[in-house]
Amino acid sequence: MKKSSDFENILDACLERLVKGETVEQCLESYPELAVQLEPLLRTAQAAREVSAILPRAEFKARARYEFRSALQAATTKRRLPLFGLRRGWVMALMIVSILLVSGGGTAAAASNSMPDSRLYPVKLATEQVQLALTPSDMGKARLCTVLADKRIAEIIYMADKGDAQCVEVITQRLDERLTELTMLVSASEAGDTPQVLTEVPAEPPSELPEESTVAPPVPSEEVETVPVPAPVPSDKAIDDSNKGDSNKDDHAKNNNRAKLRVAVAVYAADHPAALRAELRRVPASVRPALRRAISVSEAGYKKALAALD
Amino acid sequence: MQDEESLVRRAKQRDEEAFTQLYEEYFDKIYRYVTLRVGDRMEAEDITQQVFLNAIKAISSFRWKGVPFSAWLFRIAHNQVVDYLRKKAKRATVVFEESLLTSDDDPQLVFEHKLDIKRLVSATKKLTPAQQEVISLRFAGEMSVARVAEVMGKSEGAVKALQHSAIVALRRVLSVA
Repeated sequence: MKKSSDFENILDACLERLVKGETVEQCLESYPELAVQLEPLLRTAQAAREVSAILPRAEFKARARYEFRSALQAATTKRRLPLFGLRRGWVMALMIVSILLVSGGGTAAAASNSMPDSRLYPVKLATEQVQLALTPSDMGKARLCTVLADKRIAEIIYMADKGDAQCVEVITQRLDERLTELTMLVSASEAGDTPQVLTEVPAEPPSELPEESTVAPPVPSEEVETVPVPAPVPSDKAIDDSNKGDSNKDDHAKNNNRAKLRVAVAVYAADHPAALRAELRRVPASVRPALRRAISVSEAGYKKALAALD
Repeated sequence: MQDEESLVRRAKQRDEEAFTQLYEEYFDKIYRYVTLRVGDRMEAEDITQQVFLNAIKAISSFRWKGVPFSAWLFRIAHNQVVDYLRKKAKRATVVFEESLLTSDDDPQLVFEHKLDIKRLVSATKKLTPAQQEVISLRFAGEMSVARVAEVMGKSEGAVKALQHSAIVALRRVLSVA
């Protein structure tokens, strides 16, 4: 019994040495008295290690990664408090939206993960429109567009799995709109457009600012999207002085947000078409033309967005 | 990879980046393990994907009490495989394609590897379930004996004995084939 467990320990020690890159011969040299018994087992173990050459298909890997990320995001969103990280202005705006959605927040929340074949799907689309309208800066809207494009991709995959080519076409059209909007927003932001501050709910008439003060309103950072509270109008000098420091800070924040957005867009530019291509192999032939169009729309859309971001 | 314990702690708090790092670290290993156990590429893909989706759901219940994350993840994979095999009435079909191997390899080498792997998977199917489990965890999952013992709920000594008998049996099957 003892002898056999000794042999098992030696065999295991040799296997570990093979894993570390040693040869069978080197192992046998250490145990010449057991070489006859050990050699065939070590050769077999070496053959068994060939299994490490098995690799998942690239398409499967891309699709699996995409679905993993989607599931992770869904799980994370569920856990977050709905008003987490929002300031007073946003809380107020969201309260109004909640009241407008007569059926209450529960419906909106339930709708947020609904798919096109669900009765709640129109609520999801309407909520997205409200979100877009309430997002103050172009960069914030652009970021939201990428999130919405990601949702459209998940919907396309879902409906393609169900074999509904017509629905895939419709969602592809929505995807196209989002990506076009993304490119426009990014271009507008680059051209130096001032961010829109709740266009539907103007904070304060701009005419109250003195004529000399042609300073753009402070750019809300992406992390703190607040409705600006009108402050007492400072003197011209004070505006000039404070503006120098603020504009440096704002430029830095803006560049930082732009870089972050670029990373997100670059990831989606690779992942989304790959996930759709992987889907091509699984779906019925009748859905493939619609899916191919979705692939070309996503490729072209992200290409333009990335060009605008560069 | 960053310290695994801190990644797991962050993943438990739904830190997407941390969880994604763990995913990237284990994805190929889990896929190889599942492929060797079920012998069918399509099924292995579905099961592998499900393992990670289940991990997202269950991560909050993971406790780092001596059982490492890898053992926990492979146990999920093991349960998925056992569940699949139980449901599967007929024997799994062995389906291998060139895409199982890296595409930039020499074509001759790819062909030879393909044959080797096909033989190996077929041979593994002839072992007892416990022997299959040891071979899959040890060679496909690239786990140490200590980790395999944790996944299988056995002592290290028992795993070493099982490993010995599995290699002997594998050798016998391969030489007959």
